[in-house]
Amino acid sequence: MSGKMRILTGIVVIAIVAVVSGVWIIRGPGPLDFAGGPKVALADYRAGKPTGVPAKLEKASLVERGEYLAKAADCMVCHTKPGEKDYSGGLGFKLPFGTLYSTNITPDKDTGIGNYSDQDFLNAVQRGKRHDGARLYPAMPYTSYTYMTDEDVLAVKAYLFSLPAVRAKPPENTLSFPFNQRWAMIFWSVVFNPDTRFAPDTSKSPGWNRGAYLVEALAHCGECHTPRNLGFALDNRKKFAGAITAGWRAFNISSDKATGLGSWRDEDLISYLSLGHAPGHGSASGPMGEAVDHSFSQFAPEDISSIVAYLRSVPPQPSPDLPATIAPIAPASHKDGVTADARGKKMFASACASCHGWSGESPVSPMATLTGTWAVNDPAATNVAQIVLSGTKRHTPDGALSMPAFGEAYSDDEIAAVANYVTARFGTKGSKLTAKDVAGLREQTAE
Amino acid sequence: MHMATVLTINGETKSFDAPPDMPLLWVLRDVLGMTGTKFGCGIAQCGACTVHVDGKAVRSCVLPVSAVANRTITTIEHVGSTPAGAKVQKAWLDAEVIQCGYCQSGQIMAAAALLAATPSPDDSDIDAAMAGNICRCGTYVRIREAIKQAASGRQS
Repeated sequence: MSGKMRILTGIVVIAIVAVVSGVWIIRGPGPLDFAGGPKVALADYRAGKPTGVPAKLEKASLVERGEYLAKAADCMVCHTKPGEKDYSGGLGFKLPFGTLYSTNITPDKDTGIGNYSDQDFLNAVQRGKRHDGARLYPAMPYTSYTYMTDEDVLAVKAYLFSLPAVRAKPPENTLSFPFNQRWAMIFWSVVFNPDTRFAPDTSKSPGWNRGAYLVEALAHCGECHTPRNLGFALDNRKKFAGAITAGWRAFNISSDKATGLGSWRDEDLISYLSLGHAPGHGSASGPMGEAVDHSFSQFAPEDISSIVAYLRSVPPQPSPDLPATIAPIAPASHKDGVTADARGKKMFASACASCHGWSGESPVSPMATLTGTWAVNDPAATNVAQIVLSGTKRHTPDGALSMPAFGEAYSDDEIAAVANYVTARFGTKGSKLTAKDVAGLREQTAE
Repeated sequence: MHMATVLTINGETKSFDAPPDMPLLWVLRDVLGMTGTKFGCGIAQCGACTVHVDGKAVRSCVLPVSAVANRTITTIEHVGSTPAGAKVQKAWLDAEVIQCGYCQSGQIMAAAALLAATPSPDDSDIDAAMAGNICRCGTYVRIREAIKQAASGRQS
């Protein structure tokens, strides 16, 4: 080999090593690597059954089991446009580089998945590969679903195929170059999709393993609650540290005491997941509200408990931008406490005070209490502004409680003013939202 | 599914069948025939449907009956028998506040709750308590005057 060739080979080797280690560094650990215990193949695990349906559905039909799992995986929310038929697709995801529309997953042969074989369906759900060979965008969380067992994925398919076929073609995506190059997703998938099934950790309890399966494979919590890396994949070095998704802040759900779930009691977590509300912690709204309505509220109680056991084990990740202590109840009189934003106060008096009260403790229902919630204690006021824009509605066993949407009635300037007032009065630190910020939040919300 | 609901309204125990998510306003007007409380916007933004729950002014149009079980409800039909309510109603007549009257049940309920909590309100207290009660006839000036009269006991 000549000297030049040696140098060239050296450069190529160094470049390959650099790229591979760069990709390896960006990719980081998998979602379950933090647990660190010895793993066994599912077939060799004897301590319990972490996959499938809860005991009461063990003898149910394939379709019924699939229904439970489809709800646990929360397929419907993304695959249904509000007002249209369930699972018929067409919901728009507004991304910085265009809009992506969800697909019709009813068994319609022309516009849905009616022609999918079992293998086609497994390829789509676990590998992000479409029936025609094209690659799915990772808005479809197949890097989470990849941990589902074949049996569970096919039960979901059986359920979807039991539904009426709906003829509905979603609009074409409007992604800009280079994001409109679907084929390029093959590289993304090679790096970021582990394409592996759930493997139980024998050092943990059966409940923990069930929780891990539910959280990671089905409920795909990390897709909103884990920050993303340079490649827009989940950065599990900051697992569950919280992130902004679709214009809403998915808060820290790690075990951090101050800014995560570390100080929530088990019954708070159970109540929040199954009813969308925990006393003193507020109510689920936006995407989490939908997740409660369509998914978590349908979980068997033992599955909710397993989720709680698993969440407790996720290492603490502090959120440095959140206050270490949550603001206490505000004074009962409008005169005391913060009055920084006169315009915001005026709006609060006319539109908000009758339900939320001047103290933040609602005279109407604990569900409308602002005191103690992360939304008002977030100095960025992201979720306060979003809830004001789009309203919220929770169905509980006792009936529905709702807040109207103010997005159409009030200007960006007014919504910024009321959000700044609310965070200053009821939170630790007032936000400094501008009309431009609110316009930006409107832009990011899914259709 | 309808379930027998029991509420304490104006000191009386009322039992009726209604779905748990039916707003209190519907129960008052359609089930119990107490039509003094008015329907305005239906989204807690106009104040016409204001009643007292545990002495506080709330909008009954967005309040499911399930949320008010075991709580004390007072409506416009009965507010005159509370000290603050009696003063407010008298002042309302003295100052001739009412024009078309549609919003006035709500205005009186909001004013009575204000005076019960803050017996001598200043203008900013009145703003904070009454801003959510809209009057399309524009009786706001007389409402403010009547609240001050009710608080001070003087007459115009």
